[in-house]
This record gives sequence, C-alpha cells and structure tokens, in this order.
Amino acid sequence: MKILTIGRNTFRENIRDKILYNLILFALLMILSSIALGQLTLGHEAKVIVDLGLGSISIFGTLIAIFIGISLVYKELEKRTVYALLAKPIHRWEFITGKYLGLLFTLLVNVAIMAAGLMLTLLYQGGIERYTYLNLLPAIYLTLLSLMVTTALALVFSTFSTPALSALFTFFLWVAGHFNADLLEFGNLAKTPGLKWLTRVFYYVIPNISNFKVIDSRNVIQAAAYFEPINYAALGWVTVYGILYSGILLGIAVLIFSRRDFK
Amino acid sequence: MKGTLSIGAIQLILACAISAALIKPVQDRLDDRVGKSTKVLDLLYFGSPTAVKRLALGYDGLLADVYWMRAIQYYGRREEAQRRPVLYGNLAALLDITTTLDPHLLNAYRFGGVFLGEPEPMGAGQPQEAIRIIDRGIRAFPLEWHLRFDKGFIYFWYVSDYRKAGDVWLEASRVPGAPKWLEGLAAMGLSKSGAVETARMLWQRQYDEAERAEVKENARKYLLTMQINEDCWTLEFFVEKFRKRFGRRPAMLQDLVSSGLLKDVARDPSRVPYRYDPASGRVRISPETQLGYLKKMPYDYRDPFLKKLEERYGPD
Repeated sequence: MKILTIGRNTFRENIRDKILYNLILFALLMILSSIALGQLTLGHEAKVIVDLGLGSISIFGTLIAIFIGISLVYKELEKRTVYALLAKPIHRWEFITGKYLGLLFTLLVNVAIMAAGLMLTLLYQGGIERYTYLNLLPAIYLTLLSLMVTTALALVFSTFSTPALSALFTFFLWVAGHFNADLLEFGNLAKTPGLKWLTRVFYYVIPNISNFKVIDSRNVIQAAAYFEPINYAALGWVTVYGILYSGILLGIAVLIFSRRDFK
Repeated sequence: MKGTLSIGAIQLILACAISAALIKPVQDRLDDRVGKSTKVLDLLYFGSPTAVKRLALGYDGLLADVYWMRAIQYYGRREEAQRRPVLYGNLAALLDITTTLDPHLLNAYRFGGVFLGEPEPMGAGQPQEAIRIIDRGIRAFPLEWHLRFDKGFIYFWYVSDYRKAGDVWLEASRVPGAPKWLEGLAAMGLSKSGAVETARMLWQRQYDEAERAEVKENARKYLLTMQINEDCWTLEFFVEKFRKRFGRRPAMLQDLVSSGLLKDVARDPSRVPYRYDPASGRVRISPETQLGYLKKMPYDYRDPFLKKLEERYGPD
C-alpha cells in the first residue's frame, strides 16, 4: 500500500515535469514526419512509418526513462524531502520500489500515447490490414520491457551518483547493450582464450538491450513479402530476461540505498 | 544497520545472486530461439558509398573502420558456411563503402580480391566484382604489385581465363620493386594455361606473401587440399595397377607395400591414414582427420595428374 502511494506521487510529480511533454511532443512529431518520409520511398511506405514510429517510441521512451530515472532519488535528497519521508514508517526498499513503479507507470502512459500516435498515423496512411495494429502490440510490449530495464539501470546509478554522471553511465550501458552480439562475435574471432572468455562474461553482464528488438516491422506488416511470424517463444524468454534483469538492478538499488547514511 | 547486514539485506542479496545465475541460461535459451528463426537479415542500411560518405560528417576514417570490421565479420562466417548456407550478398557493397570512405585501406582491396571472388559457399562467388574492387585498388595504389598479383589470381582460379591471368602477372612483374618470380608465373600462365605447377606455385606464393593470417591460412588449406587430392589419386593409381597385375583389388592399402608396388602408404598431413574402399577402389580422406575443413578445388586436374603418373610409372 505504501509502495503504491509512493508510486502514485512519483507519477504525479513526473507528469508535472516539462521535459516529459517536450519529449512526447517531439516523439509524436517524429512519428507524424514518417508520413512525409514514407512518400519519399519507392514502396514500403508502411514499413517506413512502422520503423520510424517504433524507433521513436523506443528512443524517446529511453530518454524519458533516463532523464527522469536519474533524478528519482537525487531530487528527493536535494530537496531534503527524503528525510521527512524516511522518518515515517516507510522502509527504504518500499521507497525505492514505489519510485520505480511510479516511473514505470509514467512510461506506460507515455508509450500508450506514442503508440496511439503511431496507429493514427498508420490509419491516415491507409492500406494497412486490421491485424497490423494487433501485431504492433508485441513490439510495443518489448519496448516497455526494455524501458523497464533502462529505468532500473538509471535508478541504480541515481542511488549513489549525481544526475549528470548517472545519465552518462546509463546511456553508455544502454548503447553498449545494443552491441552485445557484436561483442560475442568479436570474442569468437579473437585468438586469445582470455579475450574470448572476457567477451562472453560481458555478453551476459551488460544488459542485452538488443534482446528487446526481436520484433520489428518485419513481424508487423503481414501482407509484406519480408513478413516473418512473431517468435512467441523468444517473446516469452525476453519477458523472463527483462523481469530477471530489472529485478537484479532493483535489488542492487535497494541494497545501495539501504546502506546510505543520510546523517 | 551500518556495518552489519540485516536478514532482509541478506535475503535480497541471495535473491539477486539467484537471479543473476539465471540470466545466463535465459539468455542462452533466447539465443537458441532467435537463432533458430531466420530473423537476422543481412541488411545494409545505406547501400550508396557516397551517401555514407556524406553522412559520415567528417568521421570517414572511423566509419571506414566500422565497415571494414563488418566486412571482416563476413570472413568469420566461413567456418559457419561449412554447416549451413551463408549469404555474402552484401560483401561487395561493404567493401565498396569501406574503400570509398578510406581509399587507403589496402587490405580491403586485397581482402575483396581473395574472398569476394571465391566460389560459394566459402566465398561470395563474384569474381567480376572482385576484379572491379581490385581495379579500384590499383588506381589508388598504382605501385602495389600485390594487387595485380591478386587480380591475376582471380582470373586464373575463378574466371578460368589463364591467358588474362598471365597478362596481369606480366603487368605486375613490371611494377618497380616486384619480385622476379612474377615473370616466371606470368610465363607459366601464358604458356601452359591451367598447369598444375602454376596452381601450386600460386598458392605457395599466396601463402608466402600473405600478411594477414586468414589469407595465409586460406592458401595453406588449398595447398593441403592439393596434397591430399594428389595422395588419393596416387593411391588409386596404384590400386588400379595392383588390380591389373593380380586380377583383384587389394583388400587394404598396406597390400600395395607388401606387393612391392609402393615403399610406404601415404597418410594425410595430420598423420591420419586415408580411407580406402576395396569395392570401388576409391581413396578418400578419413573423417577422423585432424585437418578441419578443407577446400573444394575450383580446378580439377585429376586427369592430367594421372597422365603424369602413367608417364612416370607406366600404365601396367
């Protein structure tokens, strides 16, 4: 119950943040601009719209997750509101989990707005089968899962670092997380067993953000020649991965925050 | 609270540790699932080298390195090509972009020459594209004889135009600083088109001259394949001689030694005996060989080789 209260307040606080509106507006503009870009291509207009739409949702969702995630704890410390909060019968883990869930809910609402924008754009473009809209949902779901991991990552850094450094660390790991497969490939090509081993360790330790890209426009537009059916087994394993990884990060954030001395 | 760990914290650490231990099996399962689908397409987001150059915003060298590494990754899939079809459809475009971004990447031209021209499944099977890339290299490096040597190599092996190969090697031999043996190679290419000696010398030179380990290894594999082919053909030749002499094929290869036809039975370069089928008289490399994958020779010289053996040992 306390977690939900903290989460609700975090959500309210977030929706008052101006940066959020700027980012959503920019994302919606990007999605709308796909109509113009779609006309520049020779065929595949729907693919361009879907690619740009899903890309915008993912990128702007990540920016929101990072920029708000990094200040979640820091802001409370800076304004000294954390002292008042922790003086109440609230455990530190409840505080962290509540903050995390509040931001996740904020992201859910934002992604829903952006997804609606994408669907309206597709509707305007026309010629899209009804099931295309349904096929978009797993892709959007995966984007949310990736945001869940990114938010947890930002939260971990925000428990012990400044917002600027936290943003840098989170962004760095998010970028690195897109190159996990290349890292593994690099290790496989390497002649040194030590390097091979090291790349394998990094492959599992660095959040594998590319896991959340197993669904894209190729799985959405069913009428297209390049269509590939959605791999639901992969979707299931990505879900397990996302929950496990976020759980670990949340656990680390709670542990760090619990050991912090606020005197 | 400070200094000691509460039961809650210990439980949390344990939960985190268990979850962390589960990450690897989950990721492996996921890789299996994604790997089984045909999800990974060989995509080039920008096919036009000039477009990429414009978008590079001055980081041409850096981007060239990125494309170059992607091209090298294609090479890394050669082992994979032994097991399942691998598409190299974008290799030429990758090399084009790489050399447009950085025209001074000599290895990109040479790499293109060797692997772009090689037949499928081990290479892209695009010898004309390979020649086009090398020609660009020759324009960028007019005094680099290696490029002309590679170009002749492609004409000889992958286009089977031996005369043209000879012409290109002759051209290469006239480049200042080119080694003397290039003249000999050119002469062989021009006179005995397709001769075994030319082939062997080519791979040997490729092996000796290559600076990149992968190119050297490629040449070594061809030399090994040549040796294995010749060993098998020689053994088959003597099996046939045995049949003609005794009216039956030998039960085992060792019979060729006991009958006095051979002093010793050759083994493959990893010292594993060849596999002999008494019913057909064919000799093949054993599956137990330690040599790993071998090449498929683009040029079949079995008949001229057997003819040479006949000249040396007589038909019966």
